[in-house]
Amino acid sequence: MARPKPASRNFERIADWMLLAVMFWTIAVSFKNTEVLTVGDWEMWVDWKDREWWPLLYPLICISFPAISQAIFWKHFRLPIGATFAVMGLMLTTWTSLFLGHIGWTRFPLTLVWGATLIPGALLLDGILLLTANPVVTAIAGGALFSIVFYPANWPILAPFRLVVEHLGQLATVADVVGYTFTRTSMPEYLRIIERGTLRTFGENPAVVSALFSGFLSVIMYGIWFTIGLKLSNLPRMKNAYSRYMGLAA
Amino acid sequence: MNPRLLVSSVSILALLLAGATPAIAHGERNQEPFLRMRTAHWYDVTWSADQVKVNDEIEIRGRLHIFSDWPKHLFELKTVYLNLGANGPVFVKSATYLGDTPMMQSTHLEYGKEYEFRIVAKARTPGRHHVHPMLNVGGAGPLLGPGKWIEVTGNAADFVFPLKTLDGITIPNLETWQLGNVFRVHAYWLVLAFAWLGWWFRGGPSLLSRFRVLETGREETLFNNADRIAAAALVVLALFSVAYGMISTNSKYPRTSALQGGRVRVFPLPDSPDQVIVRHQKGVYQVPGRSLQLTLKVTNRTPRPVRLGEFTAANLRFVNRALPAAVAGIPANYPEDLLTRTGLVVTPDDPIAPGETREIKVEAADAAWETERLASLMGNPDSSYGAVLFFFDSQGKRTVSEVSGPAIPVFTTL
Repeated sequence: MARPKPASRNFERIADWMLLAVMFWTIAVSFKNTEVLTVGDWEMWVDWKDREWWPLLYPLICISFPAISQAIFWKHFRLPIGATFAVMGLMLTTWTSLFLGHIGWTRFPLTLVWGATLIPGALLLDGILLLTANPVVTAIAGGALFSIVFYPANWPILAPFRLVVEHLGQLATVADVVGYTFTRTSMPEYLRIIERGTLRTFGENPAVVSALFSGFLSVIMYGIWFTIGLKLSNLPRMKNAYSRYMGLAA
Repeated sequence: MNPRLLVSSVSILALLLAGATPAIAHGERNQEPFLRMRTAHWYDVTWSADQVKVNDEIEIRGRLHIFSDWPKHLFELKTVYLNLGANGPVFVKSATYLGDTPMMQSTHLEYGKEYEFRIVAKARTPGRHHVHPMLNVGGAGPLLGPGKWIEVTGNAADFVFPLKTLDGITIPNLETWQLGNVFRVHAYWLVLAFAWLGWWFRGGPSLLSRFRVLETGREETLFNNADRIAAAALVVLALFSVAYGMISTNSKYPRTSALQGGRVRVFPLPDSPDQVIVRHQKGVYQVPGRSLQLTLKVTNRTPRPVRLGEFTAANLRFVNRALPAAVAGIPANYPEDLLTRTGLVVTPDDPIAPGETREIKVEAADAAWETERLASLMGNPDSSYGAVLFFFDSQGKRTVSEVSGPAIPVFTTL
């Protein structure tokens, strides 16, 4: 490796951190906006986290930015951190939004609005990319696992909210009661897209079918977004006037 | 930066912020008049208290009339949800009922029918809050009933909402249930994520140097066996953690259920055999006088003589002060802003005999037409008003009717 001179090494380190910071915020904010506008309600409310649509749609939509980020980090830096990097950005923006918006401003309790974690799937995506060094295999194995592990990975958080209670003479889960109790004027009960469709006819727990189906679709989604990431990062390049200071060329 | 520009910018910002006041409304006057006048009419609404402490409950109850002349050109009434209209969860819902049916889920209501509602709300946040009964309607949004200011005193930190599961697990407070667990699970995965990112950034990000190496085609120098072992360990640990978390959680909570999202069925109050039929003949909204002047044809199909006692639209009550039975229907603590000062003028105002059909003139004049932004119905596509009318017999027995029709604006004094 052509080592830069010591004087320029500090400059390079600053440039590295600046580049990383710009990438982090760009990905984090874009990722959060996309998530909020597409599957935000499933992420936002505890009484939307059902067995059918949440494990199907949420990881399926949210694999987009990890795939793009992986493409950029892998293509230009051969770093297998893109998925974790993107998901960490999402986590930061999610929890910032939770504490400043939902709790600090609208005073919703955290039991109503806690966010799910995508980190397990992201770690698997990154790990598999390094082990295979092959985006196609990563799409098949990692893309599928990203969605398949989403529901079980979040089950330890969700399960206490799925305990059964009797409330107002009806059977309900704790999540139902939390959603009912804490007033949301613009989120009436009928807007919830939960447990709708014929998927419930497949066995007792449709979460398994949803997760597997989501895993299958995520293979395709990963491929699409990884390709888009490659194209997006393939920007027109200008002649580098400082290349000789960077130790790149004479 | 230019100091003058900086001082000017800060001064302008300070001036803008100086005039800012906290927003306390939640848009009830912002809805189009047809949404407030021709959809859901709330009446006999009472609030059990004006002032409560944190954890105390209030009860809001009354009746709901679903208008027959619903603005169907915009949306059909399909799915509705009884809700509490307040500025966020300052009050929480302990119970809501339509008739005897708990309203945890949504339902369907029928045009032209009446329903009794009851909302039990528990105070959560200290302050002065405007609290309404509310109906969320699929396709139309929230329809607010009359609102009343309720003072909540005490400390927000004292709020609790306990619950007990069918397994016998006691939930001390829904607001804080299992939050420690939420943070623990997130923290575990965050530690793993930081460890993975830290592995690659342990000597600094090295983005540019890696980029340089890739440019020169020496990719193999960017990884070593330790990296591959770390990746394999990460994959194994992640899969094991997910499996362990799932299995241990299932053993801890063996009985869980699906979210409950069905529709409940509610039944309206039975139709009254005694009816007063009201037909719109002519409607004029006099803009300078802020007065809605109606000519109505009234047919009394009750066995007793009746008089018109109240005209209510968009939660505004125009009461015929000449009729004691109508005045008696106003609770002492009813919100003053919803009671018009001038009331209702009916001509002729003598009783309408059983079986008689009579043409009467009704004038509902008040500045509230403007302040409540109802005069803008002239700008609606069909420019129609809608109202519920209360007729009273000599015993004080009430009959509820509805009326609607076009209102023609008059821009000069008649």
